[in-house]
Amino acid sequence: MAESEIVLQLEKMCKTFPGVIANDNVDLDIRRGEIHALLGENGAGKTTLTNCVYGVYQPTSGKIIWKGEEVEIHQARDAIALGIGMVHQHFMLVPPLTVAENVVLGMPMEREPFLNLETVEQQIREQGERYHLRVDPTAQIWTLPVGVQQRVEILKALYREAELLILDEPTAVLTPGEVEDLFLILKKLTDDGLSIIFITHKLEEVMAVCNRVTVLRDGILVNTVNIEDTSAPELAKMMVGREVFLKMDKPELEPGEVLLKLENVNALDDRDLQAVKSISFEVHANEILGVAGVDGNGQTELASVIVGMRKAGSGKVFVKGEETTNFQPIDMIKRNVAYISPDRHHEGLLLDFTITENLIGKTYFASPISKGGIFSKKEVERFVDQSMMDYDVRAPGPQLFAKLLSGGNQQKVILARELSGEPDVIIAAQPARGLDIGATEYVHKQMIEARNRGAAVLLISTELEEILSLSDRIAVMYEGEVMGIIPGKGADTDIHELGELMAGLKRLDSGTPQAKEPQAEEAGEA
Amino acid sequence: MNNKKTFQDIWRDYYEKSFNVSIPILAILSAFVVSGFILIAWGANVFEAYGALFSGAFGSPNAIATTLIRSTPLLFTGLAVAYGYRGGFFNIGAEGQLWMGAYAAVWVGATLTNWPGWALIPACMAAAMLFGSLYALLPGILKATRGVNEVLTTLLMNYIAIQFAEWAMRVDHFTRGLELNANGEVPVWSWVSWIGIKDPAQPFPKSPFTAEAAYMPSLKSIMEIPIFVNLFGSSAWYESISSIPAFGRMTLAPVLGVGFVLLMYFIMFRTTIGYKSRAVGINPQAAKAMGINIPRTIIITALISGALAGLAGGMEVLGSQHRIIPKFLVNAGFEGIPVALIGQLHPIGVLLSATFFGALKAGANKMGIITMIPVTVIYVIQALAILFAIAGTTFDVESTLKKRRLMRRQPPEPPSANLSNTEEESHV
Repeated sequence: MAESEIVLQLEKMCKTFPGVIANDNVDLDIRRGEIHALLGENGAGKTTLTNCVYGVYQPTSGKIIWKGEEVEIHQARDAIALGIGMVHQHFMLVPPLTVAENVVLGMPMEREPFLNLETVEQQIREQGERYHLRVDPTAQIWTLPVGVQQRVEILKALYREAELLILDEPTAVLTPGEVEDLFLILKKLTDDGLSIIFITHKLEEVMAVCNRVTVLRDGILVNTVNIEDTSAPELAKMMVGREVFLKMDKPELEPGEVLLKLENVNALDDRDLQAVKSISFEVHANEILGVAGVDGNGQTELASVIVGMRKAGSGKVFVKGEETTNFQPIDMIKRNVAYISPDRHHEGLLLDFTITENLIGKTYFASPISKGGIFSKKEVERFVDQSMMDYDVRAPGPQLFAKLLSGGNQQKVILARELSGEPDVIIAAQPARGLDIGATEYVHKQMIEARNRGAAVLLISTELEEILSLSDRIAVMYEGEVMGIIPGKGADTDIHELGELMAGLKRLDSGTPQAKEPQAEEAGEA
Repeated sequence: MNNKKTFQDIWRDYYEKSFNVSIPILAILSAFVVSGFILIAWGANVFEAYGALFSGAFGSPNAIATTLIRSTPLLFTGLAVAYGYRGGFFNIGAEGQLWMGAYAAVWVGATLTNWPGWALIPACMAAAMLFGSLYALLPGILKATRGVNEVLTTLLMNYIAIQFAEWAMRVDHFTRGLELNANGEVPVWSWVSWIGIKDPAQPFPKSPFTAEAAYMPSLKSIMEIPIFVNLFGSSAWYESISSIPAFGRMTLAPVLGVGFVLLMYFIMFRTTIGYKSRAVGINPQAAKAMGINIPRTIIITALISGALAGLAGGMEVLGSQHRIIPKFLVNAGFEGIPVALIGQLHPIGVLLSATFFGALKAGANKMGIITMIPVTVIYVIQALAILFAIAGTTFDVESTLKKRRLMRRQPPEPPSANLSNTEEESHV
């Protein structure tokens, strides 16, 4: 692509939130007619950067230059007036209104206050033809599939004469077929001179549709490169980055008996799309099996299937040799399976419960905490005091609401609740997400301690560093499948291979522990 | 962070532990202040009016008796709604459950006429609770298994219950006059008269009075029980208290009401049933991860809530009216909703706010007579108290969050961006 005019230029953009630097001196330029990918792991600062451009946030420092002029964007309305449109991950549509009504919502009409939807509908049809954005303008939003709703969002931006379109993880909600359609639409739009910022963490999408790519990591711009000059493995390396890894001190332990076993487990996600595809693996006592992968590749669904929060479509789950497929969560709790939820606020904790009430969340039904359905105040207090001391929960008192605790202390409450019963199997999904270094270290130490005393730990994390410093073996998930299981010990771990597995560029076939071990185990049993 | 407790920490610790009594009190005071301006605009003397209202509610033993009588049904419906809300079951059907409970209490009280009081009163209460909870069972099952919005089902079922009771008041009660056909046989449709509760002696749709054994004993009659008389009868204070005529009007019903407040507090906060209900009400997803059976818990919540609402009707029958008539206890079920909200969904709070509502009703007449202010002014005060109470909860949450932010973080952020930022970051 020839060097064309620069539409948007960002100079030394900084955005800090209290305690977090989301963007640190980011320079970016967007050319007319290009699809520019913003690539990075979760929390790398992609969405924050574009939200600054769209006026959702105010940058702490830095300049936004739009078509050669420095501008200040205080709110989304300013951005729209300039010709910047944004399609958020969660659509901003009014479900009971029609497509045309949504498109004109908030726009002045020619003959106020009368609506003239016919012309709007006509316009939508014309643009639909032109850009492959076919939508029935009279359909109500709630009747449309997600992919079509996304088209309406794009149409909304076009109707507001956007010259730059920001798409925040547009493919996250789409089926593979819809993704194809979207790419076609984007190509057509850029042919007409529109510029697109495409936020994603999926490498193959970047390679398939983008002209240039900017990689962000921890809020810092790593590099901006042309697609022709790079490759997916190189991007993967840029995205993950670090060559130096923190290593936790952990003794070499011989893996014990198999405590958790999965056989060809399949499951759907909340949108009824296949999220977990035929996954088999085993976790032994004294072992941490890390599950690596970019967020959204079925890891959280995998965790929720194991602990009974989600139905497995097919396949089998075994805990300590007993089949527990599709057991209720209470049955898993009674089998001493701990679950550290990836969503601390919505699944891990009851924010409007006190620390005490949260801490007894896995023991409330049993003696001595409660007898005949009535809590023993003394036992509850003793248990809670002990837990808060053991797990170093810092709070003015056990009757404080969990929502008033810091993230680190909230996670400690969860750890105390899940680990104080010395569980045999621990499903830990993103246990250190959003925590500061001290709290992260604490969580990691707890994982290692649980492993050392003989628990089987399944550690799911999108933080490669976390996986590498804790895991005995690493399973890599990509699009719901385990691409391979590689050793996690120091020099044996091939970072490049890991990156390729995570990007779905490579698959370890039979001969790997993943495929071999279950069969060997079965043969042994028979 | 260190472990040294500051005064603020201790205060907050206490504050988190108990329910926040300051919100309802401030809300009620604010309501009186704002209504005061309305009264001034009306041209009335505010102090005189409020003085009359207060003395009408608490000024004499008789006034207090009236306040208690008016408060009792609201106390039970308030508890019913509060427990339901806590458990995520938004019971708008307390009115209907109350009618079913009152119907059941009357039916039992008017049918088992030869039972002694010690058996008949508990039987009436049990029947009221059973009917109330069964009437909440269907919305509970629909919500638990099919996700049907309980607000709609309970609201609409109110009218079915009211109509059912009105119809039952038009069908002769079988013990009072069973129609025989020309052959002297019981007609096929006679089972209907098993349902009916009309008093055949009355031309209007009214139920008969229950057996007198089913009248809730008055405090006076309790004080006259030989044991108490033997214990305290000689002392002068006992004689002077028991000679107050208002104790003849005050029954055991409000006392039982306070007992149920304590019981509900116990169930809510000291049993696994209450624990599970509240967990489901706060966040079903997290509750599920704790191993709680969500559908079963919702149904149990509905049953408990319905039982309390049914008991509201039962208590009114046993303690006060002893029968049901059309429009008996106007809207006591619906008023349970504001009672629960002003009471912060806490049993003790419900006790306070039910007393407030009852006192307004009791004092309104006196205020009307003395100052010529229309009685409807009390609805203004009620409505304002509700608004202030709801505003108070949001205000309070906001300020608590702000306090936390200031405590935890050094650089102050512009308040506009603050909330969304912390939200955003915590989910990354």
